[in-house]
Order: sequence, then structure tokens, then C-alpha cells
Amino acid sequence: MRMGAAKIALGVGVLLSAFLMPNPLRAQTNTPAPQQAPAKQTSPTSSQSLPSAPAPQAPSLQDLGFSKEQMQANPKLQARLDKHTHMLKIHQRLGLITAAPMIADLITGPMAKAKGKNGQTIMEPTSANIDLHAALGSTTAALYFTTASFAIFAPRIQGVKKRGAIRVHEALAFIHGPGMVLTPILGAMAFKQEQDGEKVHGIASAHGAVAYTTAIAYGTAIVAISWPIHLKFWEKR
Amino acid sequence: MKPRILAAAFLLAALPAFAQSATQWALVQSTLSYHMSHPLHQVDGVSHAAKGKGVCSNGECDFLVAAPVKSFNSGDSNRDLHMLEATRGADFPMVVVRARFPQSELSSPTIYADLEVQFAGQTAHYANVPFQRAAQGSDMRIVGTVPSTCSDFRIDRPSFLGIAIANEIPVRVDAIWHFQ
Repeated sequence: MRMGAAKIALGVGVLLSAFLMPNPLRAQTNTPAPQQAPAKQTSPTSSQSLPSAPAPQAPSLQDLGFSKEQMQANPKLQARLDKHTHMLKIHQRLGLITAAPMIADLITGPMAKAKGKNGQTIMEPTSANIDLHAALGSTTAALYFTTASFAIFAPRIQGVKKRGAIRVHEALAFIHGPGMVLTPILGAMAFKQEQDGEKVHGIASAHGAVAYTTAIAYGTAIVAISWPIHLKFWEKR
Repeated sequence: MKPRILAAAFLLAALPAFAQSATQWALVQSTLSYHMSHPLHQVDGVSHAAKGKGVCSNGECDFLVAAPVKSFNSGDSNRDLHMLEATRGADFPMVVVRARFPQSELSSPTIYADLEVQFAGQTAHYANVPFQRAAQGSDMRIVGTVPSTCSDFRIDRPSFLGIAIANEIPVRVDAIWHFQ
């Protein structure tokens, strides 16, 4: 009787092990993979409604060895990033808007200048031309410094080493920044000299050259931040 | 009493079979790169900072790969900061990819994996994503592309000069796994 019980127990044991063992062993055989359907994307779901929970043996994020700082959310940094981006978006928008009166000012510049060589009759510019040029200049300066302030006062993000186009963009500010300060001052000096019946002389005569240099540096800064440009308008969007 | 002990011993003896069947893989080298498309720009942001682990048992493989969002470098720090802001990378600092596929596919040249991607506070699922597998000694190289889009993760598409980037931001995965 006891021998019979032992045989049954042994049989049950063999059966159980036969049921339990094959799956992992079978899986390691080199059977060809079944034909699969092509990649298909399902609709995204929020983390609250995961359709499948990870298997018990599945590795977890903690297994990978990332530091706590790397994995921890930083709402303060996110707030700084949000403000940083918001201010730079305004900087970008205003910067492009500023280019319009700047170009117009360059066009009206020669019209606001007395013409005539030594020994000839001097042709004074009309006051309307001077006023228009001065108004455009003032608008340009006001917009320019407002634009600059959004970049200057945008919160800095610690630990970020500047790379790429932003370095050229910022370096050019050392040319157009002083240029934007000097240009109206020189313009006012030139205007005063002309009003006094003098030929524009001294540092005031550099008003035009400084204005052009400033505008070129400003335009280059806009192109630099957009560089490299790969036109691909024909691509399906 | 003896037969019971015998049966119990037999069952205990069968248990190690489970442990032996589980195989583990560790990510030793990786390149993750997202591609961003804009009418004026074609940009690739690359990260080599991913870490990963894979476990295969009971005929299923579960692989996990994660990388800090801020580790992606597009060659322009200004753009990277904007990407970090747009993807809420400070609130959700990690991009986590979980892949599941049949263990039998570890020996086939193409692995079709079901992916779960956690990014920007959202979770997206992609079924049957093909990855090319190539053996490199005891290592294996897995290369494939996750067909992710901005809308999958509810990312407000950044714009430049008033034109938004393309919705598609495919992420190419090139990873070398070491058998442990």
C-alpha cells in the first residue's frame, strides 16, 4: 500500500515538473519567428489608464542606476524654462518686427541729409524727411531696446554650456548693441550741425556708416540664429 | 510520510529550472536620436546617456531603456532648452521605453516589439515595432525606429518664424546589449 502511494506521489511529481518546466526551456529553442504585421501605432493613453501592467520579472527604472537627482521632477526648473522660453519667443517676435522700421530708416537716411559739394549750393532736406527719419529711428531704438531686454532679463538656466548658433547671435550683439546707442546720438549731432548751418563734421559724419554697420550686424544676428538653414518646403507636412 | 517528502523534494528540485531559464541583458552602448523637421531646419538630437536592462523568462522578454531628457544634444543649446521646456523635461526628466516581445525572437534577425513609451508626462503604446537584430559575439545590436509624434505625447509643437515643426519626431534606437 505504501509503495503504491509512493508511486502515485512520484507520478504526480513527474507530471507537475513536466508541466512547469517546458515553457522556459522551449522558449530558448531557435524556432523561426512567426510572420508579424507591420509597425502599427496605437492611440496614446495617459499613464492613468495603462492597458497592460509590466510582468513581475520586468526590470524597473530603479534597476538602471540613475541617480535620484536625475529622476526627480524639478517644478522650479520647469517654471524657469517656461519663463525663459516665453521671454525668448517675445524676443524673437519683437526682433523681427524691429527689422521693419530699421530697414525703412536706412532707406529714408539719404533723404534726411543735406546734399551738395564744396563750392556748390547746399540742398537742405525737407523737415518732413528729417521728421520721418527721426521718427523711424526713435521707433527702431525703442523696439530694439525692448527686444534686447527680453533676452537680457530672461532667466538663466544653470549648468547649460552654450553651443551652436546662439554664440554667434550673442557675439553680434556686441556690435549692434553699441551701434544702436551711437547711431541716434550721432544722428542728433549731425542734425544740430546742419541746423547751425555747418557741414556735418567730426564724429557726427560717421552717423551713416555706424547705422549701416549696426543694421548689417543685426541682420546677420537674425540669420545666425536660424543657421544652418535647410529649405524643405516641398516636404509633406 | 515518506512519499510526501519525496514529492516535495521533486517539486523543489524542479524549481531551479525557472531560475536557469531567465536570461538577462544589460545595455552597454547606445545612441538614441530624435529627428525634428521644419521647413527651414532638419535637426537630430542625440543622446548616449541611456541605460537599460532586459529580462527574458517564461517565453517573454521585457526590456527597459531610459534616458534623461536633458541628455539629448542637437548641437544648439538654445534649441535644447526649448525642447526641454516643450517636453516638460524638468517635470518629467526621464524618457522611458519598455519593450515586450517573445523570447523566441531573440534568435531572429527582426524583433517585433510592443513598446510603451513614457515621455513628457504621457504614455504612448506602439505595437509590432520592428527592430533589426545582429549578433556581435556575446552581444547583440538592436537598431530600429520608434514612430513617435508630438501629438502622442501632447507636446505643443515648437515653431520658428511662425511655422510649427512637423508632428512626426521619429526616435532612432541603436543599442548594444550584453548577455549576462
